[in-house]
Amino acid sequence: MREGARADGRLPLTIIGGFLGAGKSTWLRHQLHRKAFGAVHILVNEAAEMPVDNLLLSKADRVSVLAGGCACCDGRGALVAALRAICAEQDRPGSCRIDRILLETSGLADPGAIARLVSDDPMLARRIMLEDIIALVDALHGPVQLREEALGRRQVESAGRLIVTKPREVPPLQVARLVNTLRQLNPVAPVEGAEHGEPFGLPPVPDAEPYALPDLAGASAGPIRSCRLDISGGNGWAAFSVWLSALLAARGDDIVRVKGVVTDLDGRLLVQSVRKQVQPPEMLPEPEQDSPTQATQNDVLILMGRGINEELLAHAWTRFCDGPAIACL
Amino acid sequence: MCSACGFPSLPGHWTDAGARNPGSRLRLRFTRLAMVNRLLAPYRLRAHDDGSTPGLQLMAPSGERVLVPDLEALWTEAARLAGTPIDPLSPRSLGDA
Repeated sequence: MREGARADGRLPLTIIGGFLGAGKSTWLRHQLHRKAFGAVHILVNEAAEMPVDNLLLSKADRVSVLAGGCACCDGRGALVAALRAICAEQDRPGSCRIDRILLETSGLADPGAIARLVSDDPMLARRIMLEDIIALVDALHGPVQLREEALGRRQVESAGRLIVTKPREVPPLQVARLVNTLRQLNPVAPVEGAEHGEPFGLPPVPDAEPYALPDLAGASAGPIRSCRLDISGGNGWAAFSVWLSALLAARGDDIVRVKGVVTDLDGRLLVQSVRKQVQPPEMLPEPEQDSPTQATQNDVLILMGRGINEELLAHAWTRFCDGPAIACL
Repeated sequence: MCSACGFPSLPGHWTDAGARNPGSRLRLRFTRLAMVNRLLAPYRLRAHDDGSTPGLQLMAPSGERVLVPDLEALWTEAARLAGTPIDPLSPRSLGDA
């Protein structure tokens, strides 16, 4: 097996999102120059009929363009076909192997909807693993986009990593307020700065006031809270998976992220979700003996969402675990 | 996937993860059923697994039965039969209603 390839043979997919003009192609071009993602196949999606972003990425080895429709709505079919073609190419003997697929979405795409699209396709679900969602936010225009566009907020909420672009020309206090707004929307994702793709230190103003975000049609009301849930006293994976699946079915639009490691008799499972979409949990290797931090994080889940709090989650979990045994056979 | 009936259409629901051998899979299947019934009980619904049919059978007090392939479909059908989502955080599930 090729070094770096996954044991299950699935191809990692990284989604790069962000609102129109956030600097996705510029940032990506620099990462390709640095070979930050290894050998990649890049899919560029543009909502417009006339593609431009592929010109910016012309130095990449493998680029496919999906123009004339956003991959999370009008262009869904084209995206599925392109991903299937990449998988088929990888299966061909003698083909040039890639480490991952990078999807640069259009500025109008909801990454959560794309994640759902991949997992709902019978072929792609077996061949592709969603590795990360990176959202780029323009330091100057980001506050207005977050204030006025529900889509801009959804892009930030579903990200696993946030990058503030073009911060050099923006007053530091303004950048700090944007960073704190992003942390409020998505408390788990790390926030970095980048100027033309180069890492850029963000101003350290922890008490900068976040921008007020009014309620929008299409955006759920209320702030997102990050809650910690200890499930160590429960009945392992069987109980937790049932409880979480019911919770996401009932409140999946409000619970934007779930992350954590659940232990069971057969090992440790890494659980991650974006809204209702749970990625296939991965079995993790056992932690090293001298790595106490790994062990302490087991069976502690982070849930981010609206209308939830730690007390309510802990109460509901305890109540569920202590519930009466019900004859089922 | 079975070429005759097309089941399962997807490589397994995420809740099926973890069980590495047949014994673990069987244990997961029946432990999970007990847990599902805990959540369904306040809504007067019940799930049944006969051990051979793929998926679960969901039963309503009216006698209606639905065969569901996985837990995602189960919660959707249960919400339809109960007329309300099966929400573990709701007062009904918490016994406060």
